[in-house]
Amino acid sequence: MTGRLRALLRLFAVQGTWNYERMLGVGMGYAAEPLLEELKISDPQRHAEAVIRSAEFFNCNPNLAGLALGAEVRAEYDAAPGAQVARLRTALCSPLGALGDQLFWAGVVPALVGLALAGVVLGAGLWSIAAFLAAYNAVRIWTAVWALRTGLTAGMNVGTAIGRSWVPRAADAAGSAAGFGLGLALPLVGVWFLRPFPLPAELGALGLTALGLVAGYVAGARYGALRYALLAVLVTLLVRLAAP
Amino acid sequence: MTALEPLSVAALVLWGTLVGLDLVSVAQTMLARPLVAGAVSGLLLGDVEAGLRVGALIELFALDVLPVGAARYPDYGPPTVAATALAADAPWELTLGLAATVALIGAVIGGWSLQFVRRRNAASIQRASAALAAGESPTIRRLQYAGLSRDALRSLLLTALVLAGAAGAALIPLDRATAVALTVVNVGIGLAAALGGAIRSAGRGRRRAWLVGGLAAGTLLALAVGR
Repeated sequence: MTGRLRALLRLFAVQGTWNYERMLGVGMGYAAEPLLEELKISDPQRHAEAVIRSAEFFNCNPNLAGLALGAEVRAEYDAAPGAQVARLRTALCSPLGALGDQLFWAGVVPALVGLALAGVVLGAGLWSIAAFLAAYNAVRIWTAVWALRTGLTAGMNVGTAIGRSWVPRAADAAGSAAGFGLGLALPLVGVWFLRPFPLPAELGALGLTALGLVAGYVAGARYGALRYALLAVLVTLLVRLAAP
Repeated sequence: MTALEPLSVAALVLWGTLVGLDLVSVAQTMLARPLVAGAVSGLLLGDVEAGLRVGALIELFALDVLPVGAARYPDYGPPTVAATALAADAPWELTLGLAATVALIGAVIGGWSLQFVRRRNAASIQRASAALAAGESPTIRRLQYAGLSRDALRSLLLTALVLAGAAGAALIPLDRATAVALTVVNVGIGLAAALGGAIRSAGRGRRRAWLVGGLAAGTLLALAVGR
């Protein structure tokens, strides 16, 4: 197995030691190890410094971590000054976090989950789940391969490579797809769940939906749907208990 | 709740452990999405419909979560696995509400357990700071494997705990009206969670227009197939 393939596989566990001190840092160091093996033979001193840098604080969306890993490793082989490599690493945190989160967590994932939910409601059942997993992982694996390859090619110029790549455009388009996918799914899911119940129950559920939306709008970040649900369950149980 | 054979319990705990690991630590292949976690649990229990119903309902709550940066969030996956056992082999209208409630409580505990593991990871990294500063690769590997092991143990215990909670909840004598009310309450608030999350993510402009378009298309489709 080549060092690049081992690094790619290790990137899938880049959050294995996630913590509030170094965040992805140790996971990045773990993924960098196979890529730095040749440096160990050619320049042991540089290798030791590179290993230290590779496990320092780092955070970004895990799906784009390969860009930073590849760029950092390439810079180490190009004998870029250590301080410059550390600055590159720090500089990549925010853009890779923002782009990756927008592309995956606010784009591809909700879009595909929306379509999967719609598929389930429309009778596709487990096929809908299988299609969701296949589609998401195809995107994820392709992105991981591309990210590592691009980082290793671009080195210190990775910022320019990202700016010229498909990622910023895809992140924007994925957000729109997420809006449509979720919009499509929610009415279907609502009918799927509420159809068997009498009209007062349906109206009660929709009333709770409206109340939740208003509470979220008014209370902002202080509102949590999970807390609201547990409180509503408690009230429901108390009311039912008190009922004759 | 279906009477669980030891083999089924073992299968659910194993599946819940994989689901918990998938959330953050390994792969993130979306096995941890409640829709997937519930569907596979339903398959393991021989009641796919129950798995899809529980999974879809908890998925509505999970859609409200944006796991960005250092955000703290509930862990819905393993509790969905365990809660599916509560809903299996019974009319979903009567069991879904209680199963969802158990899953939501489990998700809160799951969120706390994630914080605990992250603090333990930080503590072990602090202890190894001298070795890290010396660039010792074996220490990095050891920390990584320890972090993964902690999360695997967390996921296993969380699944087992919620499974025990589900077994306890199955003993609660609920009349039909209360069981239905719990289902309706959770569905209503689940829809609010997903829609609220979608509105926040969409922001303003073109994305919101796509959301409105999707809602219109979904409503027409729901009217066509639902009534």
